Amino acid sequence: MRSTRDSFFYEQDKEVTTAMRFKDIEDVKTRLENAGYICSDEIATVVFLAGATGKPVLVEGPAGVGKTELAKAVSKSLGIELIRLQCYEGLDESKALYEWEYAKQLLYTQMVKEKISLITQDTDTLSAAVDRIAAEEDAFFSERFIQPRPLLKAIMAEEKTTLLIDEVDKSDPEFEAFLLEILSDFQITIPEIGTKKAKSIPLVFLTSNNYRDMSDALKRRCIHLYIDYPERQIEIRIVEMKKPGISRRLSENLVDTIKRIRGLDLKKKPCISETLDWAESLVALQVEDLSEQVIGSTLNMICKYRSDTQMVQDNMARIIKSAG
Amino acid sequence: MVSMVMDFASCLRTGGQRISTSEVLDCVHHLELIDVLDESQFRAVLRSNFAKSRREQSRFDQTYNLFFHELHLNTNLAQIDSMADKTEEMLKMLNEQANDDPVKGAIIDFLSGRPRAFLGEIRQLETTDQDNSLAPKKFNLAPLTERLEILVGINRIRDMVREILETSPSAFGSQEKDQLYAHFNGRLESAFRILTHEPRPHNEGLRLIKAHEKHVGTLGQKAFSALTPQEIEEMRGVIDGLVRKLKDIVTLRYSRKSRGLLDVKKTLHLANRYNGIPVEIAFRKRPPRKAKIVTLCDVSSSVWSAARFMLGILYSLQDCFSKVKSFVFVSDLDEVTKIFEEHEVNYAIEKVLNEADIDYQASTDYGATFRQFRSEYMDILNHKTTLIIVGDARSNYFNPEAEILSEMREHCRRVIWLNPDPISTWYTGDSEMSTYRPYLNELRPCRNLNELISFIEDLVL
Repeated sequence: MRSTRDSFFYEQDKEVTTAMRFKDIEDVKTRLENAGYICSDEIATVVFLAGATGKPVLVEGPAGVGKTELAKAVSKSLGIELIRLQCYEGLDESKALYEWEYAKQLLYTQMVKEKISLITQDTDTLSAAVDRIAAEEDAFFSERFIQPRPLLKAIMAEEKTTLLIDEVDKSDPEFEAFLLEILSDFQITIPEIGTKKAKSIPLVFLTSNNYRDMSDALKRRCIHLYIDYPERQIEIRIVEMKKPGISRRLSENLVDTIKRIRGLDLKKKPCISETLDWAESLVALQVEDLSEQVIGSTLNMICKYRSDTQMVQDNMARIIKSAG
Repeated sequence: MVSMVMDFASCLRTGGQRISTSEVLDCVHHLELIDVLDESQFRAVLRSNFAKSRREQSRFDQTYNLFFHELHLNTNLAQIDSMADKTEEMLKMLNEQANDDPVKGAIIDFLSGRPRAFLGEIRQLETTDQDNSLAPKKFNLAPLTERLEILVGINRIRDMVREILETSPSAFGSQEKDQLYAHFNGRLESAFRILTHEPRPHNEGLRLIKAHEKHVGTLGQKAFSALTPQEIEEMRGVIDGLVRKLKDIVTLRYSRKSRGLLDVKKTLHLANRYNGIPVEIAFRKRPPRKAKIVTLCDVSSSVWSAARFMLGILYSLQDCFSKVKSFVFVSDLDEVTKIFEEHEVNYAIEKVLNEADIDYQASTDYGATFRQFRSEYMDILNHKTTLIIVGDARSNYFNPEAEILSEMREHCRRVIWLNPDPISTWYTGDSEMSTYRPYLNELRPCRNLNELISFIEDLVL
């Protein structure tokens, strides 16, 4: 199965311009950086493999470490369209794949009624008339009456696309099973029309927050990537890239403090976007040093629960002391 | 390269990870695309292909370190030609002395750079099916004694190495002796480390709920175990009110489904019959998601007071879920769904707490309960079931059988553990909470009414 897909992939993808694919892992890094995403070696390797082999990537990790952002950055860096499918409980095929537009079909049938009688006018028997209409069946069952949803859009796209299936763990097991056909063969079967094969394999990213475990079958078809909170150096670089005005000392201090706060047993640990929000507010307040007072008064930027705020305040001494 | 990846994959498999052939193929294919000499890339490729969830990563890391660092760093010794022969010779002598003992054989294989058999021995320690084995291994001391056997094996081989080196002065030069001894000793050390440091799976997905809202005043804060009979009566009233409220919400959802949105597609479809006139109007039907629930409730004396309330609420909420199956256990397990269905609530609870087909006087044994569940009821778990376990995880130092819990997790949608003990005592004494913790989706205390209400609302709404 794999080999057929690979050869298919190879033929289809030959004409994709070099701008639309990564040369090597270094190339991934620089391009993602230009798109505003700083990544580790592991992320770069996985993204490169996904681009080179057409395998979907299953991204896991705590909330707010940039799982969705990664897919966006990849599509931006390659200059291709991003198609996004947000999963939720009860998501079904008509929302994810396509919807058959009965209303439009009915309307068309009404409008071309005369044409139908024109086609059937010189037939003698009823069965001959039916045969005539049957010959025109394609006109009634065609892509014209299909309303494509994200998955079909990605498959039918003329150019390579990035398909982001967000929070796939929220979807029902039935939907997960349905995804299998798409992810392994990149084809979709529409009963009214037939099987649609992808014109070019999209780059697929699935993100999961670990609400439940994904099935083995799905995992087997994907490359797995776990994104953790970034390492110190990388987080400092992210802060400096997104908030250019910040001083090196403050950003280092900030990242170290956030790291210690993450070490506490919080209900929701501060993620990267919270680090950035905090950095922004500190710059706006023109603060240069993180004192107990400053942290205490801006704590609502990082802690979103009252109990968390309380815990940080209780442990303030530890957070500050090791900062000095 | 291919054979190395295959070896590595089979090591991981022995460690209990499921790796399919297609994944090995993919991995080899991916390795062709990257610079294999860059370790971070190499590692990333193996990890993304073989460890496909966060929980598997810690074991992957251990095996990776063993396979590509500890066992390969000191191969330089074996690679020097003159030494290679000597190492071979040593191994041969060791093999002769081992007399086909499987444990020793595994260790010697490990020394020669083939860790699979040794990892298999260790894996077996964790997963042996106790019902089938001859030795009584009910206590969690038993795996320890088995571990000792391997430990003794390691020490025995160390002695053998020393003996051979000392008694055969002709075969090896003194410098060679030192090198050989260091080489084998190093490997024995790493075997020892693997034996004693089992990696715990990461479980970041675990929802650990500590805070809760205050639904009812002082009564809600009081621990179940400290309630007076009068307060128990009062509590019943509160629970009745809560249950009524929840049922209302669920019924509302039901009645709404028949109104719902107009389903254009279906309406037009029906209209086709009447020449395009919408005589029948169809609505989008949205039956509420009805979770299936399986509860395992510890009814031993230590959690008895909380179990009573838990059972009470579950009884009342049967309407909210499409299927509730209830089990109670102490050291063995009995299904009590029928009792719940046939009797009035208070009577049913009394009956369950006194007359189920289990030995109420036995010592609590979670491991035995899990074993029995696996052999008799595993098929009732599917991807729609939520498994709720109520208990303090105090298993009297019996074997906790966390492996079975992990198997159960794979079979169902979510595993939620409710612990009626205060959080501060969760990880003390004979509690196996820390053993079970990595396999849960959600862990929350359930000590008083407030916590119980928070949980039920979370579950139903």
